[in-house]
Amino acid sequence: MHEYMLSLQEREIIPDNWYNIVPDLPQPLPPPVDKDNEHSSIELLNRILPREILKQEFTFQRYTKIPEEVQELYAQIGRPTPLFRASGLERFLDYRGKIFIKYEGATITGSHKINTAIPQAIYARNEGVKGVVTETGAGQWGTATAVASSFSGIKAKIFMVKVSFQQKPLRKQIMELYGAEIVPSPSTETKFGRSVIEKRHDHPGTLGIAISEAVEYALEHDMRYMLGSVFNSVLTHQSVIGLETEKQLEILGEEPDVLIGCVGGGSNFGGFTFPLIKKFPEAEVLASTAEEVPKFTHGDYKYDFVDSAQTLPSVKMYSLGSDFVPEKIYAGGLRYHGAAPSVSMLVKTGKITPSDVSEETVIDALRIFARTQGIVAAPESGHALATAIEYVVSHRNDRKNIVVNVSGHGLLDMSIFDR
Amino acid sequence: MKPLVLYFTANYPSREILSEFIARLDTSVVKYVELGMPTDNPLYDGPTIKGTHGTSLADFRDSDLKIYSDLLREHDIRTYLLVYYHELRKRGPGFLHYLRDIGISGLIIPDLFIDYFDSGTEVIKSFPEGLEFIPFFNPATPDSVIRTVAEMTSSWVYYGLQPSTGINVPFDLREVSKRILEMVPGREVNFGFGIRTVDQVREIMELGSNGVAIGTMLIPMLKGNRIDDFVEFQEKVREMMKVVG
Ligand SMILES: Cc1ncc(COP(=O)(O)O)c(C=O)c1O
Repeated sequence: MHEYMLSLQEREIIPDNWYNIVPDLPQPLPPPVDKDNEHSSIELLNRILPREILKQEFTFQRYTKIPEEVQELYAQIGRPTPLFRASGLERFLDYRGKIFIKYEGATITGSHKINTAIPQAIYARNEGVKGVVTETGAGQWGTATAVASSFSGIKAKIFMVKVSFQQKPLRKQIMELYGAEIVPSPSTETKFGRSVIEKRHDHPGTLGIAISEAVEYALEHDMRYMLGSVFNSVLTHQSVIGLETEKQLEILGEEPDVLIGCVGGGSNFGGFTFPLIKKFPEAEVLASTAEEVPKFTHGDYKYDFVDSAQTLPSVKMYSLGSDFVPEKIYAGGLRYHGAAPSVSMLVKTGKITPSDVSEETVIDALRIFARTQGIVAAPESGHALATAIEYVVSHRNDRKNIVVNVSGHGLLDMSIFDR
Repeated sequence: MKPLVLYFTANYPSREILSEFIARLDTSVVKYVELGMPTDNPLYDGPTIKGTHGTSLADFRDSDLKIYSDLLREHDIRTYLLVYYHELRKRGPGFLHYLRDIGISGLIIPDLFIDYFDSGTEVIKSFPEGLEFIPFFNPATPDSVIRTVAEMTSSWVYYGLQPSTGINVPFDLREVSKRILEMVPGREVNFGFGIRTVDQVREIMELGSNGVAIGTMLIPMLKGNRIDDFVEFQEKVREMMKVVG
């Protein structure tokens, strides 16, 4: 087999089971807790999440069977995604080790988000609801939700962070093409949205606010809420990335020494690294975050709210505070104030090493990657690439196998190169 | 087999009413009582039980625990204390001896391995002879922790079916119980958290459990001083056990 490009579009590479790391964590995962003694936000999840998702969220089975229908749709949307050797990048960096790329940008929606949107939409449809609601920052999650809902024959309503809505008209068009309804957030469609606008009429929006609006809307309209990241069940669905990578590396006869991914809420990162951490416990694991949202290096490991309106439970995670309003950075998907509890715990215990990268470094990395590999990666994924390049530069003589998850393509985020 | 482990928050709704309930325990179905020590921050309890802590805390004294353990000893029922580690730590090392001396059989410490992970095994080692450390696990407890704690102890095991009390999250009873029964073969396992009906008690007993902890479900009876409902509940369980055997 030619070593350079391993596309391996074989159905057998799609796993039969998702993997949940919780039973294999070094310490018990702190459970979600309520805001106060009067409200049960966990009971609230009962009203907005499909029951199958709740079950996966709270029972922590190590392996969950991927339904046949989901496996088929995974194949339809381009799974398994390619794992390839980035020889062009290696040559450019004059690296004598190997760099492998797992490329989630090859799915039809251009990112990993579709991996969890599909099962969530199917579970929602199975409950007979008329539609699903969610939020989106950069637009990747909204696009995935729109497609998955369309596959499942249900409606999708999407609250899109206002600055992204303004900066990314193409995203809105695509989501609409797939049949979804898009609302800029903060909006006047929810009580919470109206309260935000009242305080600041030109509020640019945040993911936290959009989550709160979507949850409120789901409650009021008997729809199901789709979880984009952070929650354990989402990371479980995303494990398809790491499980495929494990098989693909095995076919290549390689083992990873270093695993690198970017962290917004932690779903592509956890999904990619967790199955590999289980199989290769000695591997170094690097989590790349934006310097503007330095949750691991400047945040606290504490109980904090998942959303700004404090509607959802609080979970123990690294957080910059649920009212954190990041700068209008180029990588919308990394603006989230916290990160999944399991990822946070492994940062806390030292298994995962965080790395903050600057906008400048990321844009450089994206240019290098485009010119050496021909792929325009998503700005979020550019963080992982920047961290990988930094790693190579500082470990030039190590000859390691570095595996990087490139969570999406950036063909709809080209404006970042104009600055 | 006696299936029930009953949870009461000490002094809830009052010393008198709780004592009356305890006087009416049916010793043919109740094997242990789990007594919650009131605290201002029962982080991992569900909303209903959280509410009881607030009520009881006001006039709670440690010596109240003896009232209940004395009453329960008369019925030949062992008393276990459910106590948050932040309360234990406040009281210092002598407290464990005190608890043993007033007749507490063992301790369940729900937050120990979550919030004080690094102290966990030291705390187990500090237990005096005659006071048991009851391992408290749930589906979020990693295998490695279950193995370590199970090896250090020999008592029964408390397995929470959900990460918090009093919430109604769907779960696959068979799958959830299978894990722990396989991991601690031969140990007595009692299941708790989120059990709301006599039918669920039956289902869990049929899956090979040694017992079922009931808490949230009793709170409205205590609160309304509905002792007849309490008696009736125990009767139903007794009838049910005749069938399950
Ligand atoms: C391409 C891409 N990568 C990464 C992320 C960050 O999310 P997560 O950390 O959940 O993978 C996003 C989120 O929108 C994204 O669109």
